Amino acid sequence: MTRTETELEITRDDSSSHDVILEVRDVDVTFDMERGTSRVLDGVRFDVHRDEMLGIVGESGSGKSMFASALLNAVVDPGQTSGEIIYHPPDGEPVDVLSLSEFQLERFRWEEISMVFQGAMSSFNPTMKIGEHFEETIRAHGEDIEERMEHGWQLLADLYLDPGRVFDSYPHELSGGMKQRTLIALSLILEPKVLVMDEPTAALDLLMQRSIMSLLGNLQEEYDLTIVFITHDLPLVAGLADRLAVMYAFEFVEYGPSEQVIRDATHPYTRALLKSVPSVDASLEDMHPIEGESPDPVNAPSGCSYHPRCPLATVECVQADPDYHEVSEERGAACFHWEQSGDEIEYALGVDPDEFPESTAAFESEEETVVSLDDVDVHFEQAGLIDELFGKESVVRAVNDVSIELRENEVVALVGESGCGKTTLGKTVIGLQEPTDGSVSYRDQDIWEAKAGGGDYEFDDIRRALQIVHQDPGSSLNSSRTVRASLSAPLKRWRPDLGPSDRETVIYNLLKRVGMKPPEDYAARFPHQLSGGEKQRVVLVRALLMSPDLILADEAVSALDVSLRVEMMDLMLDLQELFDTSYLFISHDFSNARYLTEKSDGRIGIMYLGNLVEIGPAQEIISDPKHPYTKVLRWATPPLDPDEAKEANATDPPIREIDIPDPTDPPSGCPFQTRCPDAREVCTREVPELQCTEGAARVACFREDDDHEYWASEPIESDTVSLETESEAD
Amino acid sequence: MRYFVKRVVHAAVTLVSVTTITFALFRLMPGNPAQAMRAQFEADMEAGGGTADPEVLDAMVEQHIGFNPDQPWYIQYVEYLRDIILYQDFGQSYFYNEAVFDILFTAMPWSIFISVYGLALGYTTNILLGAAMAYKEGSRFDNYATVLATFLNSVPYYVGAILFLAFFGYELGLFPTGGRYNTDLQTGLNVRFMASISYHAVLPVMSSFIVGFGGGALSMRGNSIRILGEDYLRVARLRGISSTRIATRYVARNAILPLYTQMMIGIATVFSSSVLLEFIFTYPGVGWYTYDAVMRRDYPLLMGSFLFFTIVTLIGILIAEFTYGLVDPRIGSGDHSESY
Repeated sequence: MTRTETELEITRDDSSSHDVILEVRDVDVTFDMERGTSRVLDGVRFDVHRDEMLGIVGESGSGKSMFASALLNAVVDPGQTSGEIIYHPPDGEPVDVLSLSEFQLERFRWEEISMVFQGAMSSFNPTMKIGEHFEETIRAHGEDIEERMEHGWQLLADLYLDPGRVFDSYPHELSGGMKQRTLIALSLILEPKVLVMDEPTAALDLLMQRSIMSLLGNLQEEYDLTIVFITHDLPLVAGLADRLAVMYAFEFVEYGPSEQVIRDATHPYTRALLKSVPSVDASLEDMHPIEGESPDPVNAPSGCSYHPRCPLATVECVQADPDYHEVSEERGAACFHWEQSGDEIEYALGVDPDEFPESTAAFESEEETVVSLDDVDVHFEQAGLIDELFGKESVVRAVNDVSIELRENEVVALVGESGCGKTTLGKTVIGLQEPTDGSVSYRDQDIWEAKAGGGDYEFDDIRRALQIVHQDPGSSLNSSRTVRASLSAPLKRWRPDLGPSDRETVIYNLLKRVGMKPPEDYAARFPHQLSGGEKQRVVLVRALLMSPDLILADEAVSALDVSLRVEMMDLMLDLQELFDTSYLFISHDFSNARYLTEKSDGRIGIMYLGNLVEIGPAQEIISDPKHPYTKVLRWATPPLDPDEAKEANATDPPIREIDIPDPTDPPSGCPFQTRCPDAREVCTREVPELQCTEGAARVACFREDDDHEYWASEPIESDTVSLETESEAD
Repeated sequence: MRYFVKRVVHAAVTLVSVTTITFALFRLMPGNPAQAMRAQFEADMEAGGGTADPEVLDAMVEQHIGFNPDQPWYIQYVEYLRDIILYQDFGQSYFYNEAVFDILFTAMPWSIFISVYGLALGYTTNILLGAAMAYKEGSRFDNYATVLATFLNSVPYYVGAILFLAFFGYELGLFPTGGRYNTDLQTGLNVRFMASISYHAVLPVMSSFIVGFGGGALSMRGNSIRILGEDYLRVARLRGISSTRIATRYVARNAILPLYTQMMIGIATVFSSSVLLEFIFTYPGVGWYTYDAVMRRDYPLLMGSFLFFTIVTLIGILIAEFTYGLVDPRIGSGDHSESY
């Protein structure tokens, strides 16, 4: 990155209007690799302001984790960090973090800047109690144990944890969300001034993510913290961060106050990213994937690193690396054409909720039913022989009395928290999991009867008609077979009439169709030579080659980068028309489910503790959720529009308890009654059935029935939680 | 608690099955030892000019193998089990004319002495060497140590034992070539006697050390390298935890875990290897008696030591299972997972 002295002055002057706590100057991080030097941070220049919450957004491989590590001078070997990171303590002389000695660094880390890593699950020593982790940290920094432990106690309490119990637990005894909160407390134990968080919520459920985000806001105020929050999930930070910085190809391309960046992004990449992120409120026509691929750190493009993908790119962009152009006083964008970007790449935030058409067509569809489930139960016995002798029964009711019909060319999405039984239900639908009660039929033929040898359809035909696409494309492809070999297998099995050259033609055509060109080249590759998105495409194509009637897509886009998800989902819908297939799409993410179903006039089903609590047309579920649990999930899915996001952040979650009850010991009556804000006495006794509502959706809640005794029943007395209370989860 | 009960039941089932198989091997196979022996005695007697009185023959066979061959097999089986379980009566060794239980019971401490020291020494060296190799991963030391460990791992222990004996015992005369202690000395708790015991134990312990050595060091190395890449280690470093604490409390503690079960099962290997080792060093322990019993066709003794090895193995595995929860808190009572 080239720049002159005067420009440096300008940035210095600019930043001086704010109280700067961290000045990052020309920081490079390089790794020597066999095929050349990999530059994973490239001349990064940035200021972090005191007491702000800074959101850093970027796709995977954009260098954002490296930036986090560099702030603590903790880049892993053999990475080389160069440049300057000046830390300004509240009182005292500024220090250059990168030139501290190893001994000084040990003091500096955790006392001044601390960090929360991505994997909270593996951030604790599994053979040590949580309390010991706190104590050893305090001791290592020579602080007063009692005073600090008291602080730790307070922090845990602030994070809605039971400190006594947590200190006395081993890491595996805490749930993921609890571990993550404990890790936050551990990183704040020495009262650092800056907290760097690298994707702290990525592995958690939506609801837990949102709760932790709200708690962070409280902590920040209470302890005067500067928080650097790094994520790939733009909507997650958009409403909460004071400022946003967007990373692309190992440097920041744009920064500024978050509302301005979201509303009126100036860098073409930011604008493209905003368009590509699936969210619950943006209009579908506006969502578009970003063309092309992120650059390789070993040979990044010359000039502006975004020029190969940028619609505005000119000769200038290829030749010179753009500097930050001051958009307004506090904003900068590294683009020569930032003034035109607004006109060239348009995007809109949010759609008016009353705009949606009254479409119930999909629900009343006349299409033939492909698979239907009738009162299906799937219960897993956890007890063995000995347990039975001792009279203890522990049955996990993964699926409880679910009836659902999937029609031809339909897209149905199942949404729910982890452990709600959505995957089990999905596997039951495609005949991989035998139900313990009820029946699963394929075109009016009971699947399990067919397997036993009865019925009109051969079981092999049913097997072929019901296919699956897994979450992790990497592990569902045989790593020692080429794409061609993987794709030929289903054809050999089901189309024995095709010769080798015919098979090749079919495969090449399909590969071309899914955008893998030239197909001859791709067909010869092994899985490790493909990117994540390409692998998922191969898996999808392989499933489609069986010309199935229904494909179960289990979290099929969750492992992909944000900007690739829309592309993948578009492809799925595109191929649906070509192959005449239906999808059962499983997701924990409302925005993905919404994108896929709303675009295809499909349905969304909400699952909770093995029960289907609401099902209906996508638009209705999104804009007018009826079941209290659907409302909670809706709350946990942050909107992108800054105004709406602010509003959503201000409201407390419509829920009484954050943790899911133990599935081996589900609550009596309505499964949701323990957490439901509207629960009344009758809900603890009776189980609501799915019933029709004014709209096209069906909801399992007494509140939909105006004459139900619910309305006369006593409300359950409980403290309305400001954010959450702990339950006996383990 | 249920877990413990379950494990003990498993162990009991295993023990009974082994006993049954032993019994079946000796009794029910066509041309089994009892019949063979009877024929042998008959031939011997007839060769000696006497007439074979069937009752005398039966009595002799019964004395040798501990059963009355005329009884139906199931009664024999019940009696056999009853004797073992209720009276700890493994029968009478026909060669030593002593109760099998007594013979094994006096020999047992000696075998345990040799094996436990060999095992303890082997695993300590393994852990230290493995950890050192992991810390210096890729260095010259690591490379040489890997070659050495692989080499020692592939040398059979009896070859090692014979080489030890030939070199240190006969060639250099540094160590005695057999026996448990110097029989000239007064037995009891005196220094010279104890010294003599240790002196006689050196070669057997060294050979038994080789049994447990090698493979362990390599797996410890692998485990440590894996732990060194864990997130919690990186977090601990950033938290400023001292490197000694990281080495002991974080790396060693977690790397030893998978080795623990391996070590407990290793007890069985060490004991079974004692058959050859004790024979090579003429060291009268359980193994030596077993070998002796095979050579002399002393069936009661042979069956007794067979059971003895089974029981020791089962106890080793049980101890491993029960103490694993203490070593690795994740296993806890083992009710939920057994992933180790």
